Amino acid sequence: MVAAKKPGDVRISGGKLPPIALPTNCPGCGVGLDHEELRRHTYVCTLCGHHFRMGADAWIALIADRGTWKERYGDVRSHDLLNWKVPKPYQETLEQLRDEGLNEAVRTGTCSLGGREIWLATFDFRFVGGTLSIVAGERLARGMEQAAASGLPYLLVAASGGARMQEGVLALMQMAKVNAAVGRLDVAGVPFFSVLTDPTFGGTAASLALLGDINIAEPGAAIGFTGPRVIKQATYADLPPGFQSADFQLGRGQVDMVVARPELRRLLAHLLEIYP
Amino acid sequence: MKLHGRRPEETTLTVWQVVELARHPDRPYSLDYIKRMAPDFVEMHGDRISGDDPALIGGVGLWHGRATMFLGHQKGRSLKERVARNWGMMHPEGYRKAIRLAQHAAKFNFPIVSLIDTPGAYPGAGAEERGIASAIAKAIMEWFRIPVPIVAAVIGEGGSGGALGMGVADRVIMLENSIYSVASPEAAASIVWRDNTRKVEAAEQLQLTSRDLLAMGVVEEVVTEPEGSARVDYEATAAALDEALYRHLRPLLAQPTEELLQHRYERFRYIDSLIRAEPHFGPKI
Repeated sequence: MVAAKKPGDVRISGGKLPPIALPTNCPGCGVGLDHEELRRHTYVCTLCGHHFRMGADAWIALIADRGTWKERYGDVRSHDLLNWKVPKPYQETLEQLRDEGLNEAVRTGTCSLGGREIWLATFDFRFVGGTLSIVAGERLARGMEQAAASGLPYLLVAASGGARMQEGVLALMQMAKVNAAVGRLDVAGVPFFSVLTDPTFGGTAASLALLGDINIAEPGAAIGFTGPRVIKQATYADLPPGFQSADFQLGRGQVDMVVARPELRRLLAHLLEIYP
Repeated sequence: MKLHGRRPEETTLTVWQVVELARHPDRPYSLDYIKRMAPDFVEMHGDRISGDDPALIGGVGLWHGRATMFLGHQKGRSLKERVARNWGMMHPEGYRKAIRLAQHAAKFNFPIVSLIDTPGAYPGAGAEERGIASAIAKAIMEWFRIPVPIVAAVIGEGGSGGALGMGVADRVIMLENSIYSVASPEAAASIVWRDNTRKVEAAEQLQLTSRDLLAMGVVEEVVTEPEGSARVDYEATAAALDEALYRHLRPLLAQPTEELLQHRYERFRYIDSLIRAEPHFGPKI
């Protein structure tokens, strides 16, 4: 294992995490939250281990060695191609999110992790539920093709509700587009590590997110194909507690391990030493 | 090129009427076509891991004198059969069975015909417990490695990832009154409005008719149905589908495998090329 710089410093050399929107109390244990303390602890409750959802900016800061992030294809932008008007015009949704400083449901680029150069792609659940769109698919596919060509390991952080309704069947087709690109990583012998965070569902779970050479789930993350609300609607089934949780998926052979966020960076650095 | 507002102009049907035709209980199902295309069809069963999925039929038959692997979603005709076939909604075993049979076809160099007719993969607890997401993901990836020609047709409902899991092919065509969508109109309404009764509005926005998909470049051809739709004339619809599928298959048979697989990759890699041509889509690489 790569040694931490000092006891308790689990970050090795990642950047400082940006502030994120947080509730006053932890939804896991109800305790009042110290936001600065949480931020130092990678937004995991120090008391109960509840993992707060992080956006792409926070994930990039967590994963990338300080100052090494080079964003790619950030200028590829979505627009309303189906003329989607109700209940809210899609173009308006896109512009509003961009005004909030978000740049699509997937951001990708290169960085180093523990000194090793990698391709990183991270979903952002704040952008239309982290939905797989044409631009998201394009950024993923281009990154994977580049990783396959250059031999750099590919790291994915997934957080997604599935395919984006407002882009219709072309959003669905992104599942085929990105899975074809995953096949390129296989042929090239490039390692593909997939980190599944809360929530990972639908077309994203049923495409690249579960195709990692190593699938790593965050504790408590909900992972599945059909969401619990739709399952109940369609089948009137009573779902047991913990259904589709990270531990549930570990028990069903869908993920290799469940790893707490403060340990993740060290684990990934270690894996990058093992895999060529 | 703008895709805004394309609608099935050459038909007087509303989008919702097309959805209802695509789902009509008297519409021909996969076996109705397969038995006409290859009367000697021999059905096979099982994923060789844990089970058989009756929502997906698969088997071999002679088609235009050539041994061919047929795969297809199968909805049931009677209530009893509908239950047994789970309304054409596949479980994980179905996707594993499909890939097993595709690899079987590859061993013997049989081309593959895939007929798509499903509301979606089964949205139930059992499917989740047995890994439906990774079963679909793996199937989609594996289709890109199957070294024989694959032609697919949407014959009724092409619903979501459950349909795409059977829809990675060298050519994809659609019957005129079939639909292919990111989600069923009900599911899309439930996601966007949180109200699945808004299905008609959802259907109108999703652009899921055969002509919409042809305009978007997602399918290669729309096969015209007889007056009154496929359900009034099984023979004529099957003949038209047979002719179109074989016409698309023929040039593929002569293609070197490497080229075939590269083209299949590119078909999906650039399937959104009409959109990608938009200037604000960013630089090409």
